[in-house]
Amino acid sequence: MSYTLRGRLETRLAASLAPLVGACIVALALKEWWPVELAGGMIAVGLALDLTLYDRLFPYQPGWVALPLAGLELGLVMAVVRIVGIGAPLTAALVFFAASWLLGQVLVHAVFPLTRLSYGDDGGELGVAGPSAVVAVVALAAAAGSVAWATQPPTVRLGAGIHQGPLVIDHSQKLIGERGTVVRGGIVVTASDVTISNIAVTGADIGIKVDGAENVKIEHVRIAGTSLDGIQARRASVEIHDCLVHSPAGEYSAGIDISFAFDLAPSLVEGCTILGGREGIVTHFSNVHVHDNYVSGTTLRGLGLTEMSMVMAEDNEIENALGVGIYCGDYSECMLEDNVVGGTRPDVSSGDLTRLGFPIVAHSGAKVELRDNTLSRNSGGVRAFLGARISSE
Amino acid sequence: MSKRVAIVGGGLAGFVAYATLRHGGLASSEIAVFGTDADPAAQWRTRAAAIRQRRMRSESDGHCGATSFPGLALRTALKQRDLWPLVLSVCDRYHPTVEEFLEHVGELREASGWEESFRRARIRRVRVVGGGFELDEEGPFQHVLLAPGHPGLAFPAELERDPRAVHAYEPHDFADTVEVVGAGMAAATEWLNALEAGASVISVRRREPERRPLNLPRHLFTRRGLAAFHATGHEERAGFLRRWSVPSYPQGRDWDEPVERAIEAGRFRVAAEVNGAEQIVCATGFRRGFQHDELLKRLVEEQGLETVDGWIVLAPDATIPQLTDETRTLSIAGVPGQWAFPAADTLMGAKYAARRFLRRVRACPTP
Repeated sequence: MSYTLRGRLETRLAASLAPLVGACIVALALKEWWPVELAGGMIAVGLALDLTLYDRLFPYQPGWVALPLAGLELGLVMAVVRIVGIGAPLTAALVFFAASWLLGQVLVHAVFPLTRLSYGDDGGELGVAGPSAVVAVVALAAAAGSVAWATQPPTVRLGAGIHQGPLVIDHSQKLIGERGTVVRGGIVVTASDVTISNIAVTGADIGIKVDGAENVKIEHVRIAGTSLDGIQARRASVEIHDCLVHSPAGEYSAGIDISFAFDLAPSLVEGCTILGGREGIVTHFSNVHVHDNYVSGTTLRGLGLTEMSMVMAEDNEIENALGVGIYCGDYSECMLEDNVVGGTRPDVSSGDLTRLGFPIVAHSGAKVELRDNTLSRNSGGVRAFLGARISSE
Repeated sequence: MSKRVAIVGGGLAGFVAYATLRHGGLASSEIAVFGTDADPAAQWRTRAAAIRQRRMRSESDGHCGATSFPGLALRTALKQRDLWPLVLSVCDRYHPTVEEFLEHVGELREASGWEESFRRARIRRVRVVGGGFELDEEGPFQHVLLAPGHPGLAFPAELERDPRAVHAYEPHDFADTVEVVGAGMAAATEWLNALEAGASVISVRRREPERRPLNLPRHLFTRRGLAAFHATGHEERAGFLRRWSVPSYPQGRDWDEPVERAIEAGRFRVAAEVNGAEQIVCATGFRRGFQHDELLKRLVEEQGLETVDGWIVLAPDATIPQLTDETRTLSIAGVPGQWAFPAADTLMGAKYAARRFLRRVRACPTP
């Protein structure tokens, strides 16, 4: 086919209509925005390539070229998904792309030539149906965008200075602090779809407590002076990025504690620094991805992954823990990859033989899989106790 | 119901127009087709047989159906339960066999009701009358598409009376030494035919043949290339048509290897002039220009139509502007329609004219 530029654009948009409608339906069913965002990304990438590359590169486009171009577009769409942060599951995104592409091929090679006799001679232009398709796609995208805009949680900005807490967030919102914003007395989140960003929290039992909420994002927060946990999530699904939790002081304190959420969407802890406290990052009966964190100077364990949790811990650095660096216990399943555990010290005073400075411990029926971890300057080695199993590649 | 649409010419271009009109919802009783042979492929079949053509130069969509889908590749794939024709088609490598093409023409002829509309008559004159056009004594017809076909075989002047000369499109066998005049698809086919028959071949040509898959670059088959073509002035467009009228045939081993082997064996050489061979095959195509067609020549003279160097000036939709308005249409399809579509002598060209003719028939109210 020798497309005109208008033909390419009309064909692209007409072929995008059904996937876009499908994405809207899936989005409604899932109550998630990613299908619409993914479809939007696909259309945007396609139009951009049509305008900037394909029209110049292909005065004539043989049928087989559709295949490598699909590969190129897939790569770019996945890059957009990653860069923009569209939360599309990989398999679903690939299936959606493949189905949309196949539908497009059927439309271009069979349906459009059947319904418009001169489709080929007109270089892919669709006559009156072309502008109609453009209007339909734009209208649908505008409607979806309007709904997305209207349903966006409101943004609450906290000014610089000290705000007396506890702040209770019981409806969806974005709480964003300025440079120098401090909340004294903690933050409690009980609503889903909440984002907390750029805030320092001090002087509370629990710095940020998330209770029974989903899709909660906590990013760029600094927490100090808590007596229990820095961040505690119960029956909640959270994403925690780039936090600093400093010296939780209490007897049962943890930097981050995510518990009792196995049936909810997986949680993520990424890019956090936890200094001191009893445990660095703790999971109980939860599905968590622990990635690229630095934990130092804990007095019980660096990472405590327990009570039938499923955890992927990778690229973390656990330094100078007392007793145990990474603990996987109570029938949990832990994949530990590319972590660095160093300087783990023996806890002789506890009299506990499982805490003699081991960098990694599997305990009580837990299963641990190790890959490419770096263990150095630890008092002991990797150990399994009470029916736990450790395997490595 | 009185017939309001007429097609003059019962060859492939007329047949494509008929199939398109029928697909567009016109009943066979609304259409009259005037031709000399009820088989729309009769002339084409004779010529293809004369040059022993086995495969079409056109690809999967080079058929007479109104829609480009389904193409002949899909048709063959379904018949043979083999995906290979489709794979070849997406790579632009599928060329239907002549048998496949003719079989498709036969099926379409039967399904379209062609026989009901066909009238055996050679139309010699188109007259403009109230309500449209009168074709000899027939009519009037509101919309007429002229598809008179090629206006006869072209011979080099110096060979016209030479008893050794035969045209490639006339039935012939081969002598021991054959001079093939020309450098297009028919000439290339005749080189291979003569070599296969055991003859020695002298290719008589004044320029090296151009090699391209189709008659014209592909973008000239769609609006992408046509928009610029239609924007040209008369002289420029005539120059363009002359330039692209030079002979060509496709690239590929099937064409080159037999010739290379024959050159090595001393059975093939190139010469600039004919020079005493036993037989001369003139693969020189067809006469060019409306003046060689009785019907068109008369139409131009009587109606004072604008022409440029043998081409009748047409609108981009292949209609004759002076004789087409909101109530009537006079279109030209096939080779005399090159002013609107440079590859008018191909099946794609026939479809181009037919689709636009259908559009006008639909748009014009019945009086």
